[in-house]
Amino acid sequence: MLQCLTLVTHNTASPNLVKLIPLVSIMLLMLSAFIMPLLKKKRHLFGLTGGALAILMVLSFVNVAYIYQNGGYYFDIGHFPAPFGISLRIGEIESLIALLFAIVDLMVTWYAYYSLEKEIKESRIAFFHTMNLLLLASLLGIVFTNDVFNGFVFLEVSTLAACGIIVVKDKKTNIKAGLKYLILSSLGSGLVLMGIAFIYSLSGHLSMDYIHEAMIANLDGKQNTILISVILFTVGLGIKGAMFPLHIWLPDAHASAPSPSSAILSALVIKAPVIFLIKVFYKVYGTQIIHETVILDLVLLFGVMGMIFGSLFARSQKELKRMIAYSSVAQMGYIFFAIGIGNTLGVVMAIYHIVAHALTKSSLFLAAGSFIEQTGFKHIEDFRGIGKEMPVTLGIFTVSGLSMIGIPVLPGFISKWNLAMASIQSDKLYLLIFLLISSLLNASYYFPIIINGYFGEENLDGKVFLSKSKPIKQLLPLIILTVLMVLVGFFSGSLIEFIERGVYTV
Amino acid sequence: MEKLGMILPLLVPIIGALFIVNKRLISDKNLTKVVAVTVIINFICVVYSLFFNDLTAVHILKVNAFLDIYFKVDQLTRVFSLLASSLWVLTAFYAFAYMDHEKRHRQFYTFFTLTLAVIMGVAYSGNLFTLYGYYELLTLCTLPLVIHPGTAEALQSGKKYIIYSFGGATLVVLGMMMLYAVTGDMSFMAHGIVDLSLIEGNRDLLKWSYLAMFLGFGVKAALVPFHSWLPNAMVAPTPVSALLHAVAVVKSGVFSLIRMTYFIFGTQTVMALDVTKYLMPFVVVTIVMGSLLALHQDHLKRRLAYSTISQLGYILLGILMLTPNGLLGAMLHLINHAVIKITLFFVVGAITHMTHFKYIHQIRGIGKQMPVTMICFTVAAISLVGIPPTNGFVSKWFLGLGALNIGNFLYIIILLLSAFFTAGYLLPISVTSFFVSSKSEPHERDAYQSNHETLHEVSDDSVREITHEMAKDTIHETAHETENKTLRNEMVAAEFSEDGEAESTDAKPIKLEPPKGMLYPIVLLTVVIVGLGIFPNPIINFLGGVIQDAF
Repeated sequence: MLQCLTLVTHNTASPNLVKLIPLVSIMLLMLSAFIMPLLKKKRHLFGLTGGALAILMVLSFVNVAYIYQNGGYYFDIGHFPAPFGISLRIGEIESLIALLFAIVDLMVTWYAYYSLEKEIKESRIAFFHTMNLLLLASLLGIVFTNDVFNGFVFLEVSTLAACGIIVVKDKKTNIKAGLKYLILSSLGSGLVLMGIAFIYSLSGHLSMDYIHEAMIANLDGKQNTILISVILFTVGLGIKGAMFPLHIWLPDAHASAPSPSSAILSALVIKAPVIFLIKVFYKVYGTQIIHETVILDLVLLFGVMGMIFGSLFARSQKELKRMIAYSSVAQMGYIFFAIGIGNTLGVVMAIYHIVAHALTKSSLFLAAGSFIEQTGFKHIEDFRGIGKEMPVTLGIFTVSGLSMIGIPVLPGFISKWNLAMASIQSDKLYLLIFLLISSLLNASYYFPIIINGYFGEENLDGKVFLSKSKPIKQLLPLIILTVLMVLVGFFSGSLIEFIERGVYTV
Repeated sequence: MEKLGMILPLLVPIIGALFIVNKRLISDKNLTKVVAVTVIINFICVVYSLFFNDLTAVHILKVNAFLDIYFKVDQLTRVFSLLASSLWVLTAFYAFAYMDHEKRHRQFYTFFTLTLAVIMGVAYSGNLFTLYGYYELLTLCTLPLVIHPGTAEALQSGKKYIIYSFGGATLVVLGMMMLYAVTGDMSFMAHGIVDLSLIEGNRDLLKWSYLAMFLGFGVKAALVPFHSWLPNAMVAPTPVSALLHAVAVVKSGVFSLIRMTYFIFGTQTVMALDVTKYLMPFVVVTIVMGSLLALHQDHLKRRLAYSTISQLGYILLGILMLTPNGLLGAMLHLINHAVIKITLFFVVGAITHMTHFKYIHQIRGIGKQMPVTMICFTVAAISLVGIPPTNGFVSKWFLGLGALNIGNFLYIIILLLSAFFTAGYLLPISVTSFFVSSKSEPHERDAYQSNHETLHEVSDDSVREITHEMAKDTIHETAHETENKTLRNEMVAAEFSEDGEAESTDAKPIKLEPPKGMLYPIVLLTVVIVGLGIFPNPIINFLGGVIQDAF
């Protein structure tokens, strides 16, 4: 199907127009975001957001199809070429991530249409949408950009916008969580800025390719400066990407925000900085320099710690959304683990896991949000027997949970398997143990919810079949996300191949 | 078309389950009929796809060498799928009668048929990836069956079951990862895919891979120390326990072990890796410990569960001997133990169904009330001990030959010792039921009174236990109990009216034989047990194909 579509795009749209897509998508989102406060009616608000996101999705799809056919490209903004102007670099990975973000955000908006006003005040809906679109624009900017300073600017925008969708609920806990996020994120951005300052002093450039060239040219005696700058980048972006010991803002923010916000935060907001980190590692520094430093080992260590401790914390949570939030920490651990392995397959699997986790976690958060919305409960204890009242929603939760646990053909299993292959390739056999322990830990907190939800005499007592189920049109976004997730598992072969083509030389 | 014919056994139960789950399409009244039709059609499809279909291999979804859902038919598939699908039919009919006093029939039968589809998938898998996928599904499909009673105890057992199963599956994945890193291929081939030349340089990796997979699959095959989920899973309804023990769960573990040892690694490679010496102690402990633990269980089903653990040890021993006779013995015992154990469970289920007795001390003299049932039990018990002319003798004979072939007398001593223990824990049940008098007038006896009799006899400790048991029974099943009682009274009345003179002599005991749906499968299976003992050759010839593939 992809091939068919590429043929179509190839014949109808001229290639130059396709290259405009990245810029157009960012502009489209920003413009819609600024029009948003002018609108009043709920229908118009959602219409504009949905329309913008749908157009974005189509554009991103055309972009992916074009890149599948012709490979990646650079795009200069304005008429200044790279060393002076800002350029975007869109390859296989960037286009794929853009498509993913568009789809997930569209589905979340669809879900939000029916449930948002139950969680936040009516007057805040316009604000939510403004922030949502602004956030998406900045995240796409982070993913697309080929200029480190430009990346920093988008990073700051994304911090503020993400803070906006956390505090939109106007509760005390939200303000607290928002402030925590704001302070830590600003700290992270500050570290990134310092890192940029260090490498600017080394190379005199801000564009990734030029920095790389300059750094390779005068490497001698600069090892310490390079190490400091790379650590600044890793810690700074690690805070934003919820790398294990720096994750402390995440559970509060994810648990207290309204469910659509949680889904966006978990699926998109923590993913973009990771893409940026990978770009910094392999496009700014390059394989050679990165492998000379200890940074990959550190990332690996933090990744492993995240996988294990994230799950251990998730196990001990009483609230459903907090549990899922800690599970996100564990899943980010997988992604950092993949980066830390340091070979091509590792990086490819990091990207694959970003895709898989974004789809899985967004549907988990939306399913959890539906439970909370329909029952009014928050704690895991109270969701016993929910499978009788909301069988389809718990079914979606189950499929996503099974993917986390690693049932074959679902994407979680594919990630684990290939991560194991990557570990074996780089002669780190002991890593397999951590992978498997973490998947067992995943099982230990997802299964009780599923089993107590569907089975058990006491649990089902007094529950009326289908009594709290949502109508199908409200469940459709969740179903679409789940189907996509399963497809990502089934067609993992071609997806991994596609990512592999675009992976930065490792 | 041929493709479809081949994978029909995998689809039919799923389609059946889809019908069963639909309340509007199938009414409660027709539920059992649909289940019966499904399992019978499935059996026919199995026979068709195994013997009358030219196509023997089909890729359902092949993305790359790793992600490849692949089904294949070879002799081992034939053995396992025929065994499973035929026992499923018998169990289905038994369950129709048994499940009367259980709740949530629809849920039970849905997962009952779904599990059949999964077992067929295990049998038809053509590579380790597919097998592993079905292996995980098996856990998920059988879990609702294990926790069917829905009590807190059942949920606890279910939790244990799932922790053990997933732990095992995780070990299997670990082994698969290491294997795939060396071979880049996971399909089953006769004589294995791990070439001897691959061993050089990868010895440790392959060794760990084999050990991890053996222990991983060993969890389902109830290898000590990973066995304790099995006795706990006895909270399930009896037809489920019977299936879990006979074919569904434990035998799929054994089947996977045969696949892995002989069709992935290959005899030569396993010998060259010299890994069996690490695993043999586990297996020997399994055989001996299972028997010893069975000896002091008072709960009937738990005693049988520990017996299963010990008997599975025999099969694992045969697999690890790496000789043709050993494997033949293991395969024979796989089949024979399935038939024997399912009979034993059916009998125990019949006793529980008719009288609500669950403990051995309660069944004194029950042989006079249920003569046919208890005779079948005795025959099966004798066979499990290994006394000719029953089938248990045949498999043990070949296991012994296998042990002699590798010149290891320790194994023979263990086999004999364990046979002695087997006699020790099974025959007392028969003796209790036939020859120990319950010291009460036969015509006065009904369920309540004999319960009271027992109460007076036993020590204080067990009094509490039994009262508790009875309290539970009465609370949960009072309604049914009364129904049963009236049924029994009617039967007594019928008994007396049939032979009027009997009434005056008071000599005739009350017949408590289970309903036909339960009795016929039991009798049929007993005939099979003896039949296979007297004419073992057709089966041995049939298994010859597997032996040829392996050696």
